[in-house]
Amino acid sequence: MPAISTTPTLRGVHLTRTYGDGAKRRAALQDVSISLYPGQIALLMGPSGSGKSTLLAVLSGLLEPDSGQVLADDGGEMHDVWAMTPKQREAYRLRTTGFIFQGFNLFPALTARQQLEIVLNWGGYAAGGEGRRQADEMLDRLGMLPNRSKKPSQLSGGEKQRVAIGRALVKNPSFVFADEPTSALDWENGQKVMELLRDGAHDRGASILVVSHDHRLLPYVDVYYHLEDGHLEERPLTPPGH
Amino acid sequence: MSYALQTLWHERQRYVSGVFAVTFSAMLIALQCGLLLGLFKITSIPIDHATPALRDRIIWVGSTGAPSVDLGKPIPAAFLTRLAGRPGIAPPEMYIANFANFTKPVGGTELCFLLGTRLDDEALAPADVLTPELRAALSEPFTIVVDQSDVGRLKLDSSEGKPKINGKEVRVVGVVAGLKSLAAPWVFCSTHTARQLMGPMLPPDHTTYFLARADSPERARQVVTELRDAYPDDMAAYVAEDFSYRSREYWLTRTKAGVAIGYAALLGLIVGAVITYQTLKSATEASAKEFAILLALGIPRWRISVMVLQQSFWVAVIGMGCAYPLCLGLRELARLGGADVDLRWEVLAGTAAVTTFMCAGAGLWALRGVRQIEPMSLLR
Repeated sequence: MPAISTTPTLRGVHLTRTYGDGAKRRAALQDVSISLYPGQIALLMGPSGSGKSTLLAVLSGLLEPDSGQVLADDGGEMHDVWAMTPKQREAYRLRTTGFIFQGFNLFPALTARQQLEIVLNWGGYAAGGEGRRQADEMLDRLGMLPNRSKKPSQLSGGEKQRVAIGRALVKNPSFVFADEPTSALDWENGQKVMELLRDGAHDRGASILVVSHDHRLLPYVDVYYHLEDGHLEERPLTPPGH
Repeated sequence: MSYALQTLWHERQRYVSGVFAVTFSAMLIALQCGLLLGLFKITSIPIDHATPALRDRIIWVGSTGAPSVDLGKPIPAAFLTRLAGRPGIAPPEMYIANFANFTKPVGGTELCFLLGTRLDDEALAPADVLTPELRAALSEPFTIVVDQSDVGRLKLDSSEGKPKINGKEVRVVGVVAGLKSLAAPWVFCSTHTARQLMGPMLPPDHTTYFLARADSPERARQVVTELRDAYPDDMAAYVAEDFSYRSREYWLTRTKAGVAIGYAALLGLIVGAVITYQTLKSATEASAKEFAILLALGIPRWRISVMVLQQSFWVAVIGMGCAYPLCLGLRELARLGGADVDLRWEVLAGTAAVTTFMCAGAGLWALRGVRQIEPMSLLR
């Protein structure tokens, strides 16, 4: 494993986020701070409703916290993501962020290659032949090049998730957020997905945050956080009972 | 192939209702307009069938303010000198066009429209469907020709009695085809016969129209302008194609038929717009998660909006692509039934424009769904 930089590229500082009003008010995040480093894959675990997805959404610029800051390295400088205008935040996400979700959410009409091309084309990264070349290069890294012309209905669950990973990584993001990326897959495919994500972090220097319930992912990550009742703590990588 | 078109094709079952709605709307609009134009072409038959090849250079001179060819009032024959002798203008000819009272052989009367023209080979006015044989036959006094479609209406198929016009006995020497009438059957005859039949209703030394041929379309328009400027008070001048248009437009607006058709077309448009909107909306909702991923990745929302609008455009194109062959087929079917559906290019182009506009409206309406897509929905 390559050495991980000591300077974080993404920091959540004293993040608080609540849902509901009055008696129904519930704190999903209570004074949570977290740092993600380039080349690092971090695992965020916790029971259902513990606020894992909320933290992922706040850190990724999708959900505004009630208080606290999200500081992200964008072009060598740290910027407060939630001090940006919505347009600036959209552009920031375009430059820096990739997402992988439990549901693959691939366009049924498009081929594997086009699922990646659409991000490159519409994101203004590459068009035409160059977009195709970059998409093919990413699919090749994921072992999906032979399937580049297949549509989602012709792919297995594991293959679909690999395409979804390709879509997240093709624009070479600094941060990748993965919400339960393996939960819809069997363990064999889940392992492959984690290997790909780990390679994505280590080879590309990306900071990857994986949200999951599955302890079997621990061997594939560099750091492990546990979130419960809105409180975050870093835990050792050794699985419980070992 | 664009992502929009590719999605449309892949999910064609989803889009088929939208395409069907556009096809229905486009057909409704095109056929209604075509039927209306076909119907009102009847009102300009005397103009359109008077040497059709020269309709851009035949000058019609009639009474002031005649809004339609069948509403011309008598003008003095002396007006001929205003037109004759001008450079580039052939000698004018008289055209008598008047309503008359037709008495059927079996009794009962019907309003008819007398069209009395010169009958020689050089004449401009006679309907092009009058064969040399019919023209020769019409040179006999008190002979007439009617359209085949009016034979039954005028009871000319009866072996009893003899028809009369304005109380004077006439003899039918033949029939023509394709000149259907609306309110009053066309009755073709010579100017001499027409004058005799009209009697005191057409003052002596008067006619309804003068027709003259100009050397060129430009010369025709020039002379028409000169005549209008010189004699604005007691006569009117038109190039044939303009007078034809004016006649049809008059009856179209006078009868309010255009309004009725407009309402029917509007109804078709509304139905089409609503179904197209529903189709696009459900398609957008079905792709909401995929679009949400793109939004999370920072892809601007307008890219997705453009894709929805492109889909609405393709729905319009495919819908019209289905509608036009059907329209042409239905036109032939209508022709077999004796109805003329005038699907001129203006009708088809107008239908395309209105339908595309409708689909664009439905697409813009469906964009509300795009605005509601939130990347956070993927995490809930």
